[in-house]
Amino acid sequence: MDTIRIYLTLFATSIKARMEYKASFLFYIFAILTFYIGQIGLLFVLLNRFHQIKGWTMGEMVFLYSLHAFAYGFTNLIFSQLVNFDKMIVDGEFDRVLVRPLSPLGQVIFSKFEISTAAHLIIGFTALYFGTHLAGIEWTLRKILLFPVIVGGAVLIAGGIRLVVTAVAFWTLRNRSLVHTVIFSTKEFINYPVNIYNLGMQFFLTFIFPIAFINFYPAHFFLDRSGEGLLHPALEMGTPIVGIIVFIVSTFTWRVGVNHYQSTGS
Amino acid sequence: MQHDNIAIEVTDLRKEFKVSLSGKGFLGKLQALFHRSNKVITAVNDIDFKIRRGEFVGYVGENGAGKSTTIKMLTGILVPTSGTAAVNGIVPYKDRKKNAAKIGVVFGQRTQLWWDLPVRESFDLLRVIFRVSRSDFDRQMEKLEKALGLRPLLEMPVRKLSLGQRMRCDIAAALIHNPPVLFLDEPTIGLDVLAKQSVRNFLSEINRTVGTTIILTTHDMNDIEQLCKRLIILEEGKIMFDGETELLKQKFIHEKVIEVEFYENDCVMQEISGVTVVREQGCKKWLTFDKDNFGIGDVIGTIASQYKIKDISVKEPSVESIIRNIYDNRIKLSTPSNKSFTK
Repeated sequence: MDTIRIYLTLFATSIKARMEYKASFLFYIFAILTFYIGQIGLLFVLLNRFHQIKGWTMGEMVFLYSLHAFAYGFTNLIFSQLVNFDKMIVDGEFDRVLVRPLSPLGQVIFSKFEISTAAHLIIGFTALYFGTHLAGIEWTLRKILLFPVIVGGAVLIAGGIRLVVTAVAFWTLRNRSLVHTVIFSTKEFINYPVNIYNLGMQFFLTFIFPIAFINFYPAHFFLDRSGEGLLHPALEMGTPIVGIIVFIVSTFTWRVGVNHYQSTGS
Repeated sequence: MQHDNIAIEVTDLRKEFKVSLSGKGFLGKLQALFHRSNKVITAVNDIDFKIRRGEFVGYVGENGAGKSTTIKMLTGILVPTSGTAAVNGIVPYKDRKKNAAKIGVVFGQRTQLWWDLPVRESFDLLRVIFRVSRSDFDRQMEKLEKALGLRPLLEMPVRKLSLGQRMRCDIAAALIHNPPVLFLDEPTIGLDVLAKQSVRNFLSEINRTVGTTIILTTHDMNDIEQLCKRLIILEEGKIMFDGETELLKQKFIHEKVIEVEFYENDCVMQEISGVTVVREQGCKKWLTFDKDNFGIGDVIGTIASQYKIKDISVKEPSVESIIRNIYDNRIKLSTPSNKSFTK
């Protein structure tokens, strides 16, 4: 209980510090909204031409998109500080994290919050609304209850992946380009149903770099789809389990990394 | 075990760093991408020492001697390659959180405070992080505010503080939870004379009145002479002296230093046999001489007959000159076993 109170205090402080720069805060939200509107626009154009992609209709694609936007929004909200983590290593700022009686990872995460990632969630809700209508999703009680569970698992997957690549900085010092590449590829690969890729790629996105669990597999459950895709439908409920596994592996990697931390000279 | 009065215990502590050597120029860098050649540097080389509660220890050495690396292992920042360390009976790099609660750390080069926040808010945050009760905090803060003159600084954002002001705040921040052991890594670096003195006065006071064990690394030998009863000198990762500062001085007390200031047109001194220039600063030179063959009068006489002297005095060697001599291998120390000093 005490620990939670400490983190909440850190959280409040980080927001206070962030609000010092209001203009950049608003500008960021504007940039995200523009980006998403562009993406959805592109999707509309594509689907107007082809009507569907590999058996996925417009509405289904929009729903796929909404799952992703939710996962991405929450992941960014919680793990945004990890994107700049290598700076903490290079500047030796991580030193001070280690001399405080709190978990290092907790301190890093709570040291900065991108509240502006709320914009991702606005898009998520919008896409969810249109996806539901266009695809005619029937929201049973089971689906409503499982929705947050799936999003939670997806956040663990996306966040865990981010944590692993972040921890690489303990060995290589600078790794921003790696972090950006991984975050970017996570986003791009799953904007479309994973079954448009060849079997090797599907295998990769399921078992090696399991981002297909962020939206592709669970979407089947909500859309009452069945059939195509690797090992489906056994995997449509796999998201929370995969999320927990990825997160355990990533926190382990992080812990090994902390013990490998070399600090900086002086 | 008689851990009760031992604050820090270090046994065979060693830290190696792997440094990758990248070649020169573009081709060399390209080659390094595929074929990494690593060099292992031993920053701390199997050192041992014990520090009792309430001691004030100076930990000195040249840049790269391994001072900061030792401090970082004792504070839980670095994991040693081999050997063990215990602070307050806790292994710092295994039990980071437990250790952190019982030590205070000040890095002269880096602040512990939140850059954009007023000092007071940083203190409040640290109070929460270190789980200090409101009443304990108020009592401690009142003491710190008075002793370090913090009151006018509390509402200022950290980024607007001068170096000296920031250092006072940083020291206070490290003591909010009243830790039994305090590590200071170059706390007087970059401070002016007055600021240095106020920091020193405060440190000496808490060591005396509260009994806080203090380990201080510094390049300023005045810090050592004024504060540290015990001195550990490090060279290339090894301890080459561990004992009382006074003892070090006594050992070399016969080693008189002549301080001469020449007139400007006579600034360049020819070599005189048996006399070595230890240090020079403009027209001021510090000389030592071979006691076995020359008396002090001979040396002064020789110099006075050849040069125009503005000022001359005979000094006992400062700790700084002793250490400088140790580094330059002018003085051979019989490496004392540290056990004889820890009693």
